[in-house]
Amino acid sequence: MVNAIKGLFISCDVPMAQFIVNLNASMPASDKFILHMLDPTHMFVQPHVADMIRSKISEFRDQNSYEKPS
Amino acid sequence: MAGGDGDRARAPKRHKSSAPSRSIDETAELDYTDDVDDDVRDADREVKKRDFTKLELKPDHANRPLWACADGRIFLETFSPLYKQAYDFLIAIAEPVCRPESMHEYNLTPHSLYAAVSVGLETSTIISVMSKLSKTKLPREIIDFIHASTANYGKVKLVLKKNRYFVESPFPEVLKTLLKDDIICRARISPEDSVGAPSFTISKTAGEMASGHEDLLDGMELAAATEDKETHSFEIDPSQVENVKQRCLPNALNFPMLEEYDFRNDTVNPDLEMELKPQARPRPYQEKSLSKMFGNGRARSGIIVLPCGAGKSLVGVSAACRIKKSCLCLATNAVSVDQWAFQFKLWSTIKDEHISRFTSDNKEKFRGMAGVVVTTYNMVAFGGKRSEDSEKIIEEIRNREWGLLLMDEVHVVPAHMFRKVISITKSHCKLGLTATLVREDERITDLNFLIGPKLYEANWLDLVKGGFIANVQCAEVWCPMTKEFFAEYLKKENSKKKQVLYAMNPNKFRACEFLIRFHEQQRGDKIIVFADNLFALTSYAMKLRKPMIYGSTSHVERTRILHQFKNSSDVNTIFLSKVGDNSIDIPEANVIIQISSHAGSRRQEAQRLGRILRAKGKHQDRMAGGKEEYNAFFYSLVSTDTQEMYYSTKRQQFLIDQGYSFKVITSLPPPEELPNLKYYTLNDQLELLAQSLSARDDMIGIEHLEEDSDGKALMKARRSAGSMSAFSGSGGMVYMEYSTGKGKAGASKKPKDPSKRHYLFKKRYQ
Repeated sequence: MVNAIKGLFISCDVPMAQFIVNLNASMPASDKFILHMLDPTHMFVQPHVADMIRSKISEFRDQNSYEKPS
Repeated sequence: MAGGDGDRARAPKRHKSSAPSRSIDETAELDYTDDVDDDVRDADREVKKRDFTKLELKPDHANRPLWACADGRIFLETFSPLYKQAYDFLIAIAEPVCRPESMHEYNLTPHSLYAAVSVGLETSTIISVMSKLSKTKLPREIIDFIHASTANYGKVKLVLKKNRYFVESPFPEVLKTLLKDDIICRARISPEDSVGAPSFTISKTAGEMASGHEDLLDGMELAAATEDKETHSFEIDPSQVENVKQRCLPNALNFPMLEEYDFRNDTVNPDLEMELKPQARPRPYQEKSLSKMFGNGRARSGIIVLPCGAGKSLVGVSAACRIKKSCLCLATNAVSVDQWAFQFKLWSTIKDEHISRFTSDNKEKFRGMAGVVVTTYNMVAFGGKRSEDSEKIIEEIRNREWGLLLMDEVHVVPAHMFRKVISITKSHCKLGLTATLVREDERITDLNFLIGPKLYEANWLDLVKGGFIANVQCAEVWCPMTKEFFAEYLKKENSKKKQVLYAMNPNKFRACEFLIRFHEQQRGDKIIVFADNLFALTSYAMKLRKPMIYGSTSHVERTRILHQFKNSSDVNTIFLSKVGDNSIDIPEANVIIQISSHAGSRRQEAQRLGRILRAKGKHQDRMAGGKEEYNAFFYSLVSTDTQEMYYSTKRQQFLIDQGYSFKVITSLPPPEELPNLKYYTLNDQLELLAQSLSARDDMIGIEHLEEDSDGKALMKARRSAGSMSAFSGSGGMVYMEYSTGKGKAGASKKPKDPSKRHYLFKKRYQ
């Protein structure tokens, strides 16, 4: 019997994968979203988290980039 | 992050209010509010676009190099044939904001205009030259602004003549206004014969023209400007000078005084016999900066800004040689005191007995009536109890009247220390030298009042083109974090250790190792590696077996390491903590690798670059198209996706404003080199991670020097709080397997291959 799970396939670089893993770990157990860690740069997550991950990542990146005050 | 690079390369087009953030400006509060409503302005970016269509283009605009905007911003085309003249003029009247290769941005500020007036430019000259150079008709606002800002500046001069202070002005009505003030009136010393009527002493002085601008003026204006001018003056009580000066500041009477020293007519202070040696040929920009200082045969106080390695000391020595009076030279630490004393002997004919050094361990008495004394700011400003010897010398410094007070690296010295130094020493003329007139605390404004206006600032790129300083290739090397390090970096409980984690990133280590190896072996370069983080400094240096110098390295050991680095072909790389930022003179080095740095300090970045700016090799090789177009390299290693990216970009701003561009390198080390570098295996990396995480708290932060960049702090014993276990030596990392001895540390842990063993020992193990 084949089990099918609907989900989202994420492909990213190593550090971002770690960022997502860390994000997942910081969530309460009920909100954990990573279904399968396929390899260091690929993962399979629940389908509804795409926007949340995107916004978290852009927030994180903004913290790390300097824009000349204008 | 991908966008960041593009942003940096682009010449900034910014809203006017952005400009003063770096420039000398007293609107610190204003800047602050600007920052606050940043978001608001970002939102309506469209509105920011300004309409310049109503500016009238002159018919021959193609021949003119300037664009002047109503808001005080000026753009200069550097490819114009008039560039050189226009640059000299602009640097005198405006503050450089950003100077990339083909287009410079300047900003007119009240302070920059004050500096212009103080070097002898008059309001009418400023406006007429500007309108000649501008492509468009000068906007009304600019003309009004110049009039308003220069109306009172430079109208009054404070002149020391034969040890009497005179307030001098070409406008008698201004002097009358001043005398209405109570304090100034009381400070006045009236000549006995003319009681009552406010008569002024009238004297003639040769009218002055700042050199270089004549060719831009018509003959008629020139004739008018060089006519003799009458000056009126009254004498004031020397003890009241400070008060009078204060009354004249913009917040009171608003007639800021210029200070000048008529050293040729000073017969009271003994002359010092010193001339520049014939082989000391000041370069064109050095001449120019000196001509700004001695524009009218008198010496003006002020600041001269030249990049590191461009020969600031020759400017200082030349100034002393022109004034030919006693000179007090202040440096930041003991090492640079020695260097200054050496420079004086090198460039001038001063006799050895006329020059003396005064540092905590080198107290030379002065001999003779006049002489040069080289000392540190701390020695003069020191408030505590002194030894008997130094008390005597300091008394001598206090009592003497100095012709020139020469101050090195003025940007590092806190304002209160300046006040103290200036109040202790009586000097006729003050000259400040610096490479980077930026401070993270934006306190540069203080220098304007304490020393004087900025007299000259050189353009870095022009000096590079002229071959006077090295042509540096700047590169930012992006090192991705490894999986394990990044995972730890993200954990909340490691927030304090972030700095260690991104500094110790194995990919960064390997990039560093590769660069060192490449430059040592392929090019035979001399390399300095900078790390502010003590843990990173010691780990890198030990693993790579290179000597290092940091705060608590003794003076003897420092000298030994530096000597080896300079002279031995075996020592080609040294590791320095931030003690190396200023004033350790290492002319041999031509490569800098920066592995960790102090947050976002623009000044530190520029000072570090300055360590390799001194030009090396033959002059013609360095020119564009020569054999070695780039002969110096500045690498900044950055762990991507970390805070370091933020700081790194911020740090580069100063250099970018000087026209440097940073190349981003993403593929270091090259894949085929990987197995030859350290930390190749995951196990090694994990071990490194464990070490980094267990580093003691006092090791992971930025090194704190007690008195920043001062020689004294580095030599005396230090007192610090710490845990009992740390003092007794049982702190975490002590049990790790490497000895603290430098160089031989980190020796191989694997048993040696018996075939390589020395034959004496071979027997023993057989």
